[in-house]
Amino acid sequence: MSNQDELLRIEGIRKTFPGVVALDGVDFDLRRGEVHVLLGENGAGKSTLIKMLSGAYTPDGGRILAGGEEVRIHGAQDSERLGIATIYQEFNLVPDLTVAENIFLGRQPRRLGMIDRKRMEADAAVLLERVGVNVSPRARVRELGIARLQMVEIAKALSLNARVLIMDEPTAVLTSEEVEKLFSIVRALREDGVGIVFITHHLEEIAALGDRVTVIRDGRSVGQVPADTPEDELVRLMVGRSIEQQYPRERADTGSALLTVEGLTRDGAFRDVTFEVHAGEVVGIAGLVGAGRTEVVRAVFGADPYDKGAVKVSGAAVPKYDVNAAMTAGIGLIPEDRKGQGLVLDASVEENLGLVTMRSATRAGLVDLKGQRASAARIAGQLGVRMAGLGQHVRTLSGGNQQKVVIGKWLLADTKVLILDEPTRGIDVGAKVEIYQLINELTAAGAAVLMISSDLPEVLGMSDRVLVMAQGRIAGELSAGQATQDAVMALAVSNPTEAVSNRTEPVSNRTEAVSNRTTTEPEAGRGR
Amino acid sequence: MAADTLKSGAGAGGAAAVRRLLLDNGALTALIVLVVAMSALSGDFLTTDNLLNVGVQAAVTAILAFGVTFVIVSAGIDLSVGSVAALSATVLAWSATSHGVPVVIAVVLAIATGIAAGLVNGFLIAYGKLPPFIATLAMLSVSRGLSLVISEGSPIAFPDSVSHLGDTLGGWLPVPVLVMIVMGLIAAFVLGRTYIGRSMYAIGGNEEAARLSGLRVKKQKLAIYALSGVFAAAAGIVLASRLSSAQPQAADGYELDAIAAVVIGGASLAGGTGKASGTLIGALILAVLRNGLNLLSVSAFWQQVVIGVVIALAVLLDTLRRKAGATPLATGAAGGGKGKQATTYALAAVVTVAIVGATSFLHNGSSSSSNPKVGLSLSTLNNPFFVQIRAGAQAEAKKRGVDLTVTDAQNDASQQANQLQNFTSSSFGAIIVNPVDSDAAGNSVKSADKAKIPVIAVDRGVNKATVDALVASDNVAGGELAARTIADKLGGEGKIVILQGQAGTSAARERAEGFANGLKAYPGIQVLAQQPADFDRTKGLDVMSNLLQAHPDVQGVIAANDEMALGAIKALGSKAGKSVQVVGFDGTPDGLKAVEAGTLYASVAQQPTQLGRIAVDNALRALQGKKIEETVKVPVKVVTKENVAGFSG
Repeated sequence: MSNQDELLRIEGIRKTFPGVVALDGVDFDLRRGEVHVLLGENGAGKSTLIKMLSGAYTPDGGRILAGGEEVRIHGAQDSERLGIATIYQEFNLVPDLTVAENIFLGRQPRRLGMIDRKRMEADAAVLLERVGVNVSPRARVRELGIARLQMVEIAKALSLNARVLIMDEPTAVLTSEEVEKLFSIVRALREDGVGIVFITHHLEEIAALGDRVTVIRDGRSVGQVPADTPEDELVRLMVGRSIEQQYPRERADTGSALLTVEGLTRDGAFRDVTFEVHAGEVVGIAGLVGAGRTEVVRAVFGADPYDKGAVKVSGAAVPKYDVNAAMTAGIGLIPEDRKGQGLVLDASVEENLGLVTMRSATRAGLVDLKGQRASAARIAGQLGVRMAGLGQHVRTLSGGNQQKVVIGKWLLADTKVLILDEPTRGIDVGAKVEIYQLINELTAAGAAVLMISSDLPEVLGMSDRVLVMAQGRIAGELSAGQATQDAVMALAVSNPTEAVSNRTEPVSNRTEAVSNRTTTEPEAGRGR
Repeated sequence: MAADTLKSGAGAGGAAAVRRLLLDNGALTALIVLVVAMSALSGDFLTTDNLLNVGVQAAVTAILAFGVTFVIVSAGIDLSVGSVAALSATVLAWSATSHGVPVVIAVVLAIATGIAAGLVNGFLIAYGKLPPFIATLAMLSVSRGLSLVISEGSPIAFPDSVSHLGDTLGGWLPVPVLVMIVMGLIAAFVLGRTYIGRSMYAIGGNEEAARLSGLRVKKQKLAIYALSGVFAAAAGIVLASRLSSAQPQAADGYELDAIAAVVIGGASLAGGTGKASGTLIGALILAVLRNGLNLLSVSAFWQQVVIGVVIALAVLLDTLRRKAGATPLATGAAGGGKGKQATTYALAAVVTVAIVGATSFLHNGSSSSSNPKVGLSLSTLNNPFFVQIRAGAQAEAKKRGVDLTVTDAQNDASQQANQLQNFTSSSFGAIIVNPVDSDAAGNSVKSADKAKIPVIAVDRGVNKATVDALVASDNVAGGELAARTIADKLGGEGKIVILQGQAGTSAARERAEGFANGLKAYPGIQVLAQQPADFDRTKGLDVMSNLLQAHPDVQGVIAANDEMALGAIKALGSKAGKSVQVVGFDGTPDGLKAVEAGTLYASVAQQPTQLGRIAVDNALRALQGKKIEETVKVPVKVVTKENVAGFSG
């Protein structure tokens, strides 16, 4: 089927890392002007595959053909020469350089040996126009939100005259509005004849955007199907079994209020936030990125200060800006940035699981390592963490298993109020369901769960009540019965108080914006 | 410390376990490769005495490095440990000798000093949000300065009761080695078992995650730097007791050795990894290298090159090992990677042996055993004066058929102690020492005396030990001569400035004393300022420029050596030799050229080549059992334009 439209063909590619076979015979092809979705659970080998194309890894077996000819891709230069551009989940942008400098990094137009800033900025403006993003070429990348960063990455790829564009979960961090915008850009690129490899965990996006789907499972390509294949079928291909219910929420009996937040305010971030979470209840917080959701829960947990208001657990006030006090009161936080804030990546599963309980396991300065190990083994077994052993570094675990470790350390601490910030971001369907089951078990045992999520179906499917935040305030509360996508979105884009309307976008002080952490670790954590 | 090695060693097959241990631990392999290479190249290396020497020589670096391990594991850095060690030792000596504080309390005071310095570091970093590099760099300067202030720039002799720390236990086990082992076990225990130790790994791995898991990061940091201070203080006490004196300039630059040891031992400067056992191995690698290169008589200059190359190789080896991905799945991993690694190690071993071998043979072409062996330990080779001593000594040695080994102590008293120890243990026929510090050389010379090896001191004397001869020109007399020369030139009246040598060195002190004595006879001479310029030409230039701003009316300059005089002349520009007269000291070739050109009015010339020549001659005579003079004075002369032509060093 080697026709003129074929940009890329991969045949029987293999890659092993010490102790792990990451890829074991993957076939894949990409045509001009199509969106080819790569689907698979975390750890299935998608990332390893695209790293072969970007030159980060070289295959141990099989071959790669570009335009019908066999090629070897030994580094970023080779892949650039072949017109392959990759946009990773973690962006490769330099925070303190301008947008234009980032787009042309290493290839700045020069005049008499000096960088021709004017031309560079003009060229950048043209590219930014083409991706339809309204950002100045002179803006510093640090100041941009995550959606715009992605657009800058796409502009950078375009500047390389990429014929093949690989996008690794580009929608994972975007709100639905931003996703729509991204889709229209991708469609425009498809019209221009660019071949796009698109990785996503959101099945509904496949039908909306894709042309063909290749499913990878355990390092093998298990099927190539058209994009309009029913979701059940895709899930079955992906996990090798069918998943009965995507959101298996089991409502528990609600008890008294465990967490009470009253009039919580921090200037410039959130204002007058008041809510309660009862024992046995899951309360979801929906809203656009930047609505102040993460800021509120971090303040509740004591990670950041607040100006006014109070946080109570079972009626007892919790001192502000004191993580230890919040912990003692029984609050736990699963932060949104799993790798940056939730885990010590180069430490073992055991060490990560024991982090929260280390203090209580310490007698006279000595840590009870045996006890720590025993409880880590117990909780890892209970959560079904798939790993080679307790000594495995969490960096090499898949996203879902990493998240289980983060949750596990709080379970060990007998947490009464668990706050989950985007708990399933970047996690595959199978692991998601396992995390939902865990939430069920927690609430059944009488704990209270507060969950932030930008994934609307998830919020609607798992919450007993939904709080919607907009512009730093609670715009409204919906019961499980009232909560529909439309109702939530209407509140999310509303303007909760006219009085503060002069305030533009709330400043986000989170660190999510630019992450330069490299993604060189092998997806070695499957252990299945 | 040994826990990790034991675990894998105790398992199934002996040979296989050892193989795995080596392949999984790049630094240990590097150490073994080095030891094998050194034993093959030098017969003196693999003896009990010498191995204990290596231990003693590694002790100070290792103890410092254990403390730095804590800091590096928690993703910080501590540049102040060398200075803090010197400060603690100074506090100990100062309180015990000058103030009669009981030794036990003095030791407590010294440790408290280390803790205090560490707490300040920790406070600046945790609460002041200073980058660790800057905070500890500031502490480096502050502690060095304070130890100079307390000691007034001179070494303080140690009370005998403390000096025992530098002795041996039961006649063979050196106390520094014992202290090193104890501190290492403490470090391993802290890192592996205690709350603060486990916190270090978490904070170093991901500070934010640690904070959000309820670790009190700021308090922990405070404690981590304080711990580093404790270890620095312990290192300072060991260092000073070994030298029997607290040197304000001791342990200069040791922080870099300590950091190198930690990194060679497998820790990452990015934090989160590192072990006490690795650090110990790192420190041993550095000590084995220095010791072995001494034994092999590798040229002092090449030694530094080799040390640099080996540091890079050792870390490279470890990086390669990690890249091969052996660690995370160690339990089940096996297969192809290992063979490749073995090849890499073999290659590295060959390269190391080749480098060490080549440099030793390059330098040491004629090592026929029949010739008498003489060791010469110079305080520095960073100064033409000492280079000339070496030249004179080498010329004489060649003429008389002596196998001469020259080492460079880089102005570090403890490094000199190591070199002298190496000479003694590889049974040299005679030793010539040019002490960095007269007090600090005492212990080493004593042990040479014990081994019945004749010792000749050159240029500077040795205190508290007997040398067979002192070959020197008189610094005090020379200083008086310099003062008289400038005063006469100015007609007994005028304003001058004095550029002093490096604070804390005996040459600087004695010459300053000479200047003061000489000027007493000339009440008309007004000394506007006395500032140290560290015997260094660039510093001489800077200090003189500064002084000219304050005192534009200066008429004369006395510099404690020619290098500083030449710097001053640069600063004076066209004034030199015309409106301002400069007198230097030493009579180095550059200095004599300046005298000829008229920019330098005079130099009090020593005859360094003569010093070297006569020292070797005396060493040879002592070796042959002939009687020699106790003091051999090599004359000093004032060289001016009139007599410069006839003068040769």
